[in-house]
Amino acid sequence: MIAALGQPAPAHTAFAEARFLQVLERPLVVSGELSWLGGDQLQRRVDHPQQETATIAHGEVTQQRAGKSPHHFSLRRAPQLQVLLDSFVALLSGDAGRLQQAFQIRQSGDAAGAWTLTLVPRDAKVVETVASITIDGYARESRCMHMQEADGDLAIDLLGALAAKMPAQPTREALQALCQSTP
Amino acid sequence: MRRGARATLLIAWLLALGGLGWTVSQRLKISTDLRSFMPAPTTPDQRLLMEQVGEGPGSRLLLLSIGRGTGSSVAGVGPSDEQLAALSQGLVAALKKDPRYSQALNGSFDLGALDAGLLPYRYLLSPTLDTQPLDEAYLADQLQQRLDDLSSPAASLLKGLLPRDPTLEMLKLAELWTPAKSPELREGVWFSPQNEALLLVQTVAAGFDPGAQQQAIDGIQRAFHALPGSAGAKLELSGPGYFSVVVGAQTRHQADWIGRISTVGFVALLLLAYRSFSSLLLSALPIASAALAGIAALTVAFSEVHGITLAFGFTLLGVAQEYPIRVLSHRRADEDAVQSVRALWPLLLTAIASACIAYLAFYASGVNGLKQLAVFTIVGLLVAGFSTRYLLPHLLPRRVRDVADMRWLAKARVFVDRLPRPRWIPLLVAAAIVLMLAAAPRPFWQNNLAALTPLPQDLLQHDARLREALGAPDVRYLLVLQAPTEEGVLALSEKLQPLVDTLVAKHAVDALELPSRYLPTVARQRARQQQLPDPATLQKTLNEALQGLPFRPDLFQPFLDDVRAARALPPLTPERYAQTPLGQRLAAMLVQRDGHWLGLGTVSGVHDVAALQALGEHSNGTVRLLDLKAASESLVVDYRTRILQALLIAAVLLVLTITFALRSLRRAWHVLAPMTLATFLVLAVERVAGVEISLFHLVALILAGGLGLHYALFFERDTGDPAEQRRTLHATIVCVLSALLVFGMLAWATIPVLRAIGLTVSLGVAFHFCLSILMAPHASED
Repeated sequence: MIAALGQPAPAHTAFAEARFLQVLERPLVVSGELSWLGGDQLQRRVDHPQQETATIAHGEVTQQRAGKSPHHFSLRRAPQLQVLLDSFVALLSGDAGRLQQAFQIRQSGDAAGAWTLTLVPRDAKVVETVASITIDGYARESRCMHMQEADGDLAIDLLGALAAKMPAQPTREALQALCQSTP
Repeated sequence: MRRGARATLLIAWLLALGGLGWTVSQRLKISTDLRSFMPAPTTPDQRLLMEQVGEGPGSRLLLLSIGRGTGSSVAGVGPSDEQLAALSQGLVAALKKDPRYSQALNGSFDLGALDAGLLPYRYLLSPTLDTQPLDEAYLADQLQQRLDDLSSPAASLLKGLLPRDPTLEMLKLAELWTPAKSPELREGVWFSPQNEALLLVQTVAAGFDPGAQQQAIDGIQRAFHALPGSAGAKLELSGPGYFSVVVGAQTRHQADWIGRISTVGFVALLLLAYRSFSSLLLSALPIASAALAGIAALTVAFSEVHGITLAFGFTLLGVAQEYPIRVLSHRRADEDAVQSVRALWPLLLTAIASACIAYLAFYASGVNGLKQLAVFTIVGLLVAGFSTRYLLPHLLPRRVRDVADMRWLAKARVFVDRLPRPRWIPLLVAAAIVLMLAAAPRPFWQNNLAALTPLPQDLLQHDARLREALGAPDVRYLLVLQAPTEEGVLALSEKLQPLVDTLVAKHAVDALELPSRYLPTVARQRARQQQLPDPATLQKTLNEALQGLPFRPDLFQPFLDDVRAARALPPLTPERYAQTPLGQRLAAMLVQRDGHWLGLGTVSGVHDVAALQALGEHSNGTVRLLDLKAASESLVVDYRTRILQALLIAAVLLVLTITFALRSLRRAWHVLAPMTLATFLVLAVERVAGVEISLFHLVALILAGGLGLHYALFFERDTGDPAEQRRTLHATIVCVLSALLVFGMLAWATIPVLRAIGLTVSLGVAFHFCLSILMAPHASED
């Protein structure tokens, strides 16, 4: 099934992300584009509400905000990005082996219809921050990614066509429903 | 003397030596601190140098790298970055618990390491409040930025800090306290471009105390090898302390194997010359007595004996080895040894007295190490001389072969006697000396102590590479700030900071770290405290700033609490600061001396020395750039001046002694002229060969001069007895050959200190021998 999801690089997909954080009363919503540039290079470009680009290449993250000098840090210090890279690149390149290497995988649903992959990072350090990832998809398309952080915070990304459907005031339930819906 | 009496004397002598050896081993305390062998510093810079050399932060710093073992430097083989980082963390954790190290840094800034009680101090230490009050606009802007941070991938780095520190003062301080040019962080620790984890360790022990540094280095290596996974990784060290250990070990190693070879040669030579085992063993007794008595005298007169005193002392004691040789060579077949010595004694006594007087001059130099050297050598020479005169002859075998009967010796004597001895030889040699000295390349003196114990090139390159990667401070320059109080130094430092920032921006220097960077003045801390709003105002301001932002309203209670606490804190003083993790860093930068305080700014990567020196202009001497290299060189110059003065006095005393002993100016000339000319000839030849003259060359010249004095004294003696003349030649040849053997071997050493001594003494012995013969009065003349 994973092999069927594969696409040639570079692959771009729109995303809209809602972060449910304990320090905030309401979720934080950003949107932009995720790009797999081939190999281990991934770009997360945020267009709304603020321009910001994070590029992962060769184990290093470069973060660039409009009007500020770029900020570099090691990928190891940003476990969310590590997980994003491992899962996203593996899915886009259709590389089941790689996915297997980074995560324990649980699969449910139907490869031709709605399916769900649950990924638990194998790396003991990463799992201290990111508890699990759940990806909802339909047939050959990934539609949603839930990143459950170990401290209870949750990020839900709507991918591709679904990104446009991000509500102004999202709730966990509403997004869950969107992810489960049939395209 | 009868057989029984001889045995009793021998046993008594050996017992006395044993007893002396035991006492010495109980009392002797050897110091390795280089500073006790230096003259008392006279200028403030020299005094600061002496302190810095031993205890300065730069000299106590060890630079460490943990890399992949040899052969696995290719990426992907050997330990991963992650494993190296784990080793780095493990090593720092182990060293932090060890009292031998005052600091162990690897780049990880652990907020957990900060005492929670100190956290509110961030508002007094961070410069934010100097320009920016905690008003609504500022807070609103900061909170908006934190919101942006939360949506970025780096959010998890921040989430824990947010409630307590929404303006991120802690990170600002961490950034401020990180060395300006810090290495790349990987896995949370410093890494070099060559993929090694980097660490900085500061020892409690002084940098130039090789003994203590050895222990500190052993401790690091043990801690490293105890870490799991250290087998595949390689720990490398660098820094002044490590170098002093390496150089000490190398010098000892080379001196040891050269010493072993030349001892074997020396024994073989004496066996060949005298064909008697018992004579050989017995003639070692005066030298052994001399060494032990010399050390015993030192332990009585001084609380600690310097290692260099002993090394130089044993070298200078080489003169004493001639006394028994003279006795052995001058024995006649039918004569009792006691009688032989009696005939020889006046001359021997003159030689001993002259050497003692020359060494006495060292005592007048006022340098502690040289005083010790004088006590050691004078006591040693007297003991060697008198035991050769009054004890040794009673023990020597009765029947010996008279060396005067050897056929080769008779031929040699004839050859020597036939040598032409034109009167213009001294003039020719003197002219040659003047010409050579004039033509020699400059500089004349070697003032750089380090040049004598140079480090292997690969060690220096490794050090330069690590220093560059770590942005570790230069050991050469220090910016010195002076004020009556600690607070005054900090105030001066604060005033200087903008000027320093300009210099860094202009690339005159890569970094200059001032004490106020770690601790602002009490005045400035109070000013910042004044800027902190009271709890009610801050609560109101925060509520307004939070308008329209999604933060939970009660989220920032820890922030409000910290600001409230910060308003009531007593300002941090250096004393209180000493309890913090950075306390050691500041303590090394603030030192008290002579009723005032000094701040020491560490400098890295100097590109424009003049611009740095300009910082001191118009400061009335309260700010100055200290060049430790220049200060150490001026110290060496002072030191040499004292030795030269002492030598001048010794020379005058020597002329008087010899003239008095021989009771003839003309005879004194025959002894002193060849010795003086030979000494200057060595100097001239070494200078022409491009050798710069150091303290070690001077000490070696003095030793060679002492030996040359013997040759000249004995050659000058005219007994009218051809057999006695032959014996004199025999004794001198044995002495010259043994000195050439011992010091000629040293001349092949690769370590310049050993080579300097070896080459100078060998050349000296050769020149003294030749000139003594060529300038001795003809047997037929008188």
